[in-house]
Amino acid sequence: MGVILTVSKKQSSLLKLVSFRAANTVIVFVVLMLVFTFFTRNRVFLSSRNMGLLSKLAPDLGIIALGIGILMICGEFDLSVASIVAVCAYVFVLLLKGGTSLFLIAIITLGLGAALGLLNGLITVKGGIPSFIATLGMMMFWRGILYVSSRMWPIGIRAYLPAGTSFEQIFVGRMGGVIPAQAVWFVGLAAILGVLLHFHKFGNWVYATGDNREAARAMGINTDWVKIGCFMIVGILCAFVAILQLLRLGSFCCTQGQGFELKAIAASVVGGTFLTGGIGSVVGIFLGALTIQIMENGLILMGIPVFGIGAFIGLAIILFVILNSYVERKRIS
Amino acid sequence: MKADSIGESRGVLVKMVNIHKWFGKVHALKGVDFEVKHSEIVGLVGDNGAGKSTLIKVLSGVYLAEEGEIFFEGRRANITSPGDARKLGIETVYQEQALAPNMSISRNIFMGREPTKALGFMDKKAMDKASMEALRNIRLDVASPDLLITVLSGGQRQGVAIARVLHFEAKLVIMDEPTIALSIKEAHQVLEFIKQLREENISVIFITHNLYHVFPVAERFVILGSGEKIADVEKKDTSIDHLTELIVREPSRL
Repeated sequence: MGVILTVSKKQSSLLKLVSFRAANTVIVFVVLMLVFTFFTRNRVFLSSRNMGLLSKLAPDLGIIALGIGILMICGEFDLSVASIVAVCAYVFVLLLKGGTSLFLIAIITLGLGAALGLLNGLITVKGGIPSFIATLGMMMFWRGILYVSSRMWPIGIRAYLPAGTSFEQIFVGRMGGVIPAQAVWFVGLAAILGVLLHFHKFGNWVYATGDNREAARAMGINTDWVKIGCFMIVGILCAFVAILQLLRLGSFCCTQGQGFELKAIAASVVGGTFLTGGIGSVVGIFLGALTIQIMENGLILMGIPVFGIGAFIGLAIILFVILNSYVERKRIS
Repeated sequence: MKADSIGESRGVLVKMVNIHKWFGKVHALKGVDFEVKHSEIVGLVGDNGAGKSTLIKVLSGVYLAEEGEIFFEGRRANITSPGDARKLGIETVYQEQALAPNMSISRNIFMGREPTKALGFMDKKAMDKASMEALRNIRLDVASPDLLITVLSGGQRQGVAIARVLHFEAKLVIMDEPTIALSIKEAHQVLEFIKQLREENISVIFITHNLYHVFPVAERFVILGSGEKIADVEKKDTSIDHLTELIVREPSRL
């Protein structure tokens, strides 16, 4: 206990964060990296091709998990993320067809994400119902609207958006010709949200709201708007991912994003976020999102049947949470 | 009034006059008068359901009284929310402890009132320094302002809550059953904190039904029963036995 608690003043705050809540995630992450490196044929896991692929694909879920993690810290859930992604992608495509300028479309799409998040927040907070239910409802509602509205036809974007525009470069190009822009965005957004959560007063309110809502209220924090703010952050990140996915895949599909909602929660939990709120860190969530996806990728490369991967990940999540809460109990006693 | 002439020497900080509060058909406060002088510790005692908590919740802005007036430092105060009360310098230390267990001491002390540098970023150094200072002022010794509340004892937690009101320069601190869930040793520690508040010229309303805790620290005792004030006595004119008798006796017999 003493080692963790009496942190020497010389240690930087960042180091403290890593050594503190995210320690387990760091260890698991490193172990997985080593296992996959040495147990895949020809160390194909670490090949530049696989790493390039991972850094292109992982940010999709990763960016959403960042939002979900923060939302979970303030004590709420969002099951509607996948539907928000799809709705935002759909609106993006419609506007693109209509000939609106690209950057305006991007701003409208991000605004739409924020609005959908706001709606989730208002329903949860003003309706006084669990966000689990509110967003479960919205998840089904938006997906249904989308199925009808798009008649379930996929829509390609290449007819309206020639490849290689500067707009596309910004979102899904390659930094210095090597690093996928998605990876840069993921790291950048994680850094911004990390600074917001750990050093800004809003972050303090998020933790306080999730940890002891009554206390936060008694101290004058408007916990309703803190929660709504977190829902909006999630919405904006979903819209962002919608744009990334559209540009990478080149077409809209009405089933887009399905499965993200639970995987994002799993990623946050693996990153040390507690379902009960109040505990978690951006470093942890970041690594949690990577861990889940590296596990998926690594297992496939090790020759595990693709459709059986879920079984492994499911077990891994349970084991990880058991480990996490065990360490937490040890730490407190 | 005679009571006022005594108070005049020290000055009345807060005065509640003829406070009435109904909850539906329940008449919870039936015209209660209550006052606290500067740097005075008042024990507000009475059995469960006597109206103690209701009275102080009116004062701290949690409840609105249907009738009655509150004067603070001689001026009529319009307290309609906890924020109003806090602006006047009335702080409450709740029995359920308004602390977030998984946050650090300094983050708890400044919860909702974080000192900031540019753009709303917290001034962590100032927070840590002020936290340690406030804790030292009530003689609570902790290793670091980064300790999480969850590792502290119950007494230390109350200490953090008290340090918080001290830092924000409260003039009146309301303590609602601050010793109720504590061991004997921890309760003793909290009583020491309360004495420290008086050293800082802060008035305290100490609500409890444990006379053995309140008697050594309070100077005056106000007893409530069934929403009415039964007695208002200086310590020199009473004893624990006498107070117990007053509480147990039915108000109607007075």
